[in-house]
Amino acid sequence: MNLSKKDEDSGDLGIFYHLDKSTVLQEARVFNETPIVPRKCRLLLTKIIYLLYLGEPMATTEATELFFSVTKLFQSKDIALRQMVYLVIKELSTIAEDVIMVTSSLMKDMQPKSEVIYRANAIRALCKVIDASMLPSVERFLKAAIVDKTPSISSAAMVSSYHLFPAGKDVIKRWANEVNEAINSKPSSIVGTASSYLTSFSSSGSSYNSQPSSSNISQYHALGLLYMIRQHDRMAVTKLIQQLAGSGRGTFGSSSGILRNSFAYCLLIRYAAKILDEDPNSRQQMYDLLEVWLRHKSDIVSFESAKAICNIKDVTSKELYPAVNVLQLFLSSPKSTLRFAAIRTLNKLAMVHPTAVQPCNLDMETLITDQNRSVATFAITTLLKTGNEASVDRLMKQITGFMSEISDEFKVIVVDAIRSLCLKFPTKQVVMLSFLSGVLRDEGGYEFKRAVVEAIFDLVKFIPESKEAALAHLCEFIEDCEFTKLSVRVLHLLGVEGPKTATPTKYIRYIYNRVILENSIVRAAAVSALAKFGVSVEDPEVKKSIKVLLTRCLDDNDDEVRDRAILFLKLIDDKECAEKYVKDDSTYSLAALERQLVQYVSNPESSEKPFDLSAVPKITKAQAEAENLKPRSFDLASIQTIGTSSAIASTGATAISTSRDATPTPGVDQQQIYSQQLEQIPEIAAFGPLFKSSIKPVDLTESETEYVVSCVKHMFKEHIVFQFIVTNTLNDQLLENVTVVMQPESDDGSLVEEFVIAAAKLPYDQPGSVYVAFKRTNPEEYALGSFSNTLKFLVKDCDPSTGEADEGGYDDEYLVEDIEIVTGDYILPTYISDFSSAWDDMGKDGEVVETFALTASKSLKAACATLIELLGMSPVENSGTPTSSSVHTLMLSGTFLGGIKLLAKNRMTFAPSSGVTMELSVRSSSEEISRIVIGAVV
Amino acid sequence: MASILKSFLDWLRSLFFKTELELTLVGLQNSGKTTLVNVIASGQFSEDMIPTVGFNMRKVTKGSVTMKLWDIGGQPRFRSMWERYCRGVNAIVFVVDSADHEKLEAARTELRNLLEKPQLANIPVLVLGNKNDLDEALPVEKLVEEMNLKSINNREVSCYSISAKNQVNIDITLQWLIKKGKGSK
Repeated sequence: MNLSKKDEDSGDLGIFYHLDKSTVLQEARVFNETPIVPRKCRLLLTKIIYLLYLGEPMATTEATELFFSVTKLFQSKDIALRQMVYLVIKELSTIAEDVIMVTSSLMKDMQPKSEVIYRANAIRALCKVIDASMLPSVERFLKAAIVDKTPSISSAAMVSSYHLFPAGKDVIKRWANEVNEAINSKPSSIVGTASSYLTSFSSSGSSYNSQPSSSNISQYHALGLLYMIRQHDRMAVTKLIQQLAGSGRGTFGSSSGILRNSFAYCLLIRYAAKILDEDPNSRQQMYDLLEVWLRHKSDIVSFESAKAICNIKDVTSKELYPAVNVLQLFLSSPKSTLRFAAIRTLNKLAMVHPTAVQPCNLDMETLITDQNRSVATFAITTLLKTGNEASVDRLMKQITGFMSEISDEFKVIVVDAIRSLCLKFPTKQVVMLSFLSGVLRDEGGYEFKRAVVEAIFDLVKFIPESKEAALAHLCEFIEDCEFTKLSVRVLHLLGVEGPKTATPTKYIRYIYNRVILENSIVRAAAVSALAKFGVSVEDPEVKKSIKVLLTRCLDDNDDEVRDRAILFLKLIDDKECAEKYVKDDSTYSLAALERQLVQYVSNPESSEKPFDLSAVPKITKAQAEAENLKPRSFDLASIQTIGTSSAIASTGATAISTSRDATPTPGVDQQQIYSQQLEQIPEIAAFGPLFKSSIKPVDLTESETEYVVSCVKHMFKEHIVFQFIVTNTLNDQLLENVTVVMQPESDDGSLVEEFVIAAAKLPYDQPGSVYVAFKRTNPEEYALGSFSNTLKFLVKDCDPSTGEADEGGYDDEYLVEDIEIVTGDYILPTYISDFSSAWDDMGKDGEVVETFALTASKSLKAACATLIELLGMSPVENSGTPTSSSVHTLMLSGTFLGGIKLLAKNRMTFAPSSGVTMELSVRSSSEEISRIVIGAVV
Repeated sequence: MASILKSFLDWLRSLFFKTELELTLVGLQNSGKTTLVNVIASGQFSEDMIPTVGFNMRKVTKGSVTMKLWDIGGQPRFRSMWERYCRGVNAIVFVVDSADHEKLEAARTELRNLLEKPQLANIPVLVLGNKNDLDEALPVEKLVEEMNLKSINNREVSCYSISAKNQVNIDITLQWLIKKGKGSK
C-alpha cells in the first residue's frame, strides 16, 4: 500500500519510467493475496499493459503464470479493476496458454443481468479467448448482444463477430438478421443510455454519456459485418446498398436516412464502387448513388464518393465533372487534411485524365505556397501533368522559388516531374534546362543530384536542340562535383556526345581538367573520354593535341589511368583497332552474357576451356538502350506521383498496368532462349538466324486436361517452325514418339511441311517439345491461315511410383485447338525514339491509308490494345495508352520479315454511338508490305 | 421441512462473524459443482446448466460469513489447471456423481493425482457424493471405499453423501466447511 502511494505521488509518467519486467512480474504476486486491494492491482495491471505495449517480449510460461494470477482478480467486484483485467486478458490471450479458462466468467459478465458498464469490455475480451469450436455455445449471447439497445455493447458484439468471422463463417452467417436490425435501429434514446452509464459510472463527466448515442458508430460496425457476411453474393450487396441509400436519397439535409454515421456511408461508398467495378450492368445505378453522395453534408462522405468516382475504370469526363468540382472546393478548405486528400486524389487522376483536372489549375497554383509541404509537392507534380505549354513558364518560375524550401526527397520528385515535362514539351527545353542547371548548382545530396543529371541526360538524348547547352551545363557541373559516380557518368556522356558537336575542342579542356584535379577513378574515365575525341574527331589538329594530353597521362601514379592512356595512344594511330574498340556500336546482350557466365561457372567441366565469348550474341547499343528505356519510361510515369509513401502502392499498380497494356515486344532475353534452343537442332539451324518468336506460348488445351499443349511460332527468313510444348499430366502413362500432325485449313500450297522432329519420350510432368517446320514456297508471299493439330503418340502404361513402363503400348491421338498464322507474326516490334522524324524520312512512297470502323470496340484503350496485338508492332512515345477518351493517335513501329522497316500511324476517334473509327496509315519501303500489314486489320 | 432447514442454516451462518473462506470445487464434468454453488449462493436449484468453460467465481456472503467459491470446470482439458486454483485455499471440495458408477474410477484417479501435488499438502479435502436423490446413488460407506479415501492419511478427509437438488446434507457440508475456515484463522 505504501509503495503504491509513493508511486502515485511521483507523478503520471514517473511510475512507468524504467519499468522492469521481472520486478513487475514479481509484484504480480499481490493478485494472489487476500483481501484484494483494487487500486494497487489496477496500477500493477496498468504497468503490465504498458510493458506489453512497449513490445516487451514475454515468454509463454511467464505469460501463462501471469494470466492465472490475473484470473484470481475475478473475485473482486470493483468495476474499474475488472475492466483492467479484461484489457490484460486481451493482451495475454495471444501469448499465454489455456486462456480459454476465463470463458465462463466472461460469459457471465456479458449477460444482460449484469447491468454494468463492463458488458461491452467482457464481450471484446471473450472473443479473444474463444476459438471457433466454442462459437456455437456463445452464439445465443452474442446474438442478443448485437441487438442490445446500448450502442457500446452492440458495437462490441459486432466488432468481435467481425474478427471471429474467418474462423466461424458458418455460425456468424446466421446472425445476418440481428446485424440488419442493428443497422436499422432507431437512435437509442439519450436518456436511456445515459442513465445506464450513470448507474455505474456516476463520477465521470457528462460529455462521456451523450457521446455513444450521438456518433452512431455501431452502424458502421454493423455494415462492415453485414458486408462480410454477404460479400460473395453480389445481388445481396447491391440490395443492401439500395436499401441503405434509398430512403436517404435527396434528403441529406434532414437525418431521415437510415444511416446516420459518416463512416458507415464511406463503407457503403466503397462497396458501391466495388460493385460498379465488377458489374457493368449496375454501373449507371451505382454512379447515380455516388453522385448523390457527393453532396452529402459530411466532408468525409463527399470526399469518399469523389475518390470513388475518380477511380472508376474508363470513367468519362462527364462523369468526372461533379467529382472534380467537389475536390476543387476542398482545395481551398482551411483544413489541411482535406486539402491533402483532395490534391492527392487529383494527382492520381491527373495521371490518367489530365484534362479533367485542368479546371483546378488555378486553385492548385495557390497551393504551391501551401504551408504543408506534402500538399505543395502534390500540387506541383499535378500541375506539371495538367499544365499546357503556355503555363509552363509561370510554373517554372514558381517552382524555382519553392525549391530552396523543400527537402531532397521532394526535390527529386519535382525534378522527375520536370524531366517528363521536358519530354512532353520539347520546345520549352530552354526554360527547363536553365532550371535544371540552376538546381544543379544548389546544395543537395547524391540522390537529388543524380535525378538532375539524369534529367539532363534525357534532354541530351531526346531533344537534339538542347544538346550543346546541356553539355555545357554538365561540363560546369563536373568542375565542382563531389560525387565520383556522377562525374564518371558525365565524362562518359561527354566522350560519346562531344565529338559529334560542332566545336568538340571546348569540351576537351573540361575533360583534361579532370585528369589534373580529380581522384583516380575520375581520371581514368576522363582518359577514356579524351580518347574518344581522339578517335572520333577527324581534325588532325585535335588528334595531335589529344595525343599530347594522353602522353602526359602516362606519368600518372595510378595503374589504371596509365594503362588506359597507353592503350588509347596505340589505338589512335591504328584506325582498324580504333574502329573495333572505341567506336564499336554494338555491345553484348547482357542478359545472355550473364546466363552463359552463370552456366560456365556452375559447370565444372567447362572451366578447363576458356569462356567462349563469341557465343554471346551481340546487339547494337541502340537496341540495348531501347530495352533499358522501356522500364524507365514507366518509371517516369509513376515516379511523379510518389509524394508520400502511401501513394506508392497505387502508382505501383498503375505502372504494372501500363507495362501490361503497352508492349508485346518480346524481351531480348526470351528471344535469346528460344534462339539458343533452336540453334541446337541442326535441321533448324540450317534455316538461318531466327527472326521472331511469338512471345508467349499459345495454349492449345485447357490447363487441366490429360495432355497440356502450347505452341510457340518461330519465324525464319523462308521457314516457319512451330514448337509444340507438350506436358503429360497422367502419372500412370509414358508417352513415346510424340508427333503433331498439322493440317492447313486451306491447302493452297503456299506452305509445305519440311519435317517433324518428334519428342522421343514424355514421362509424367516433364514438358517436351515437338517441332514442325514449314517452308514458304514463295518468299514474296506471306502465307496466313490456320492449322488443325492432332497429337500422335504411343502410350505405355507405367507404375506411377517408379515410372517404369510396361513393354507393350498402343497408338493414340489427341486433338488440340487450331493455331493461326497472322500478319503480326511476320512483324518484329522495334522501338524507335523519334517517331515523327522517322515518319517523315520514310516518305509517302510506300504509304497505304485506309479507314476502319470498329463498332464492337468499347473504348480507345481497348482498340489500341487490339491493334497492337494484331499488328505485333511496338507503340512508341507512350501512345499505347490513350490519354483522352475521344481522340487519340497511336504510333507504332516494327520491322517486317527481311528487315523492312515499318511505321504505322493510327488516328482514331471514339463515340459511344458508333464505336471506334480509325484511319490507319502504314509506311514502309515497299507498298506491297504496307498493303499486307493493313490487310491484317481487315 | 424446508423452512426448518433454512432457519437452521441461517442460524448456523450467523454464528460466525466476519469469517472468510476460500474454497475450490473440483470434480469430473457433470458432477454438479456449478449447481451446488448456485444452491449455496441462492438456495435454489436449477436443472439446466451449460458446462463450465474454465471457472466461475462466486462470492457468497450470508450473514457474517463470506465464502469465495472457485468453481472449476471438470472437462478433461481443465483438469490440469485444478491445482492452480487449489493452492492456498481453506479446503478443496471434490464433487463426485455418486450415481454414475462408470466414472468413479476416473474420479478416483483424478483425486489422487490432485492430492499428490506438493503445493496442496495438508489442505483438507471434502469429498461430496452428489445426486443421492437418484436410485442408483451409492451410499456414503460405499463411496468412501470406492474412492479409496481411507488410504489418504496425510490430511483431513471427509465424505458426505448429498443432494443439491433436494438440498440434502447441505447444512452439514457447510458446517464442515466453516469449521475449516475457523480452524485456519
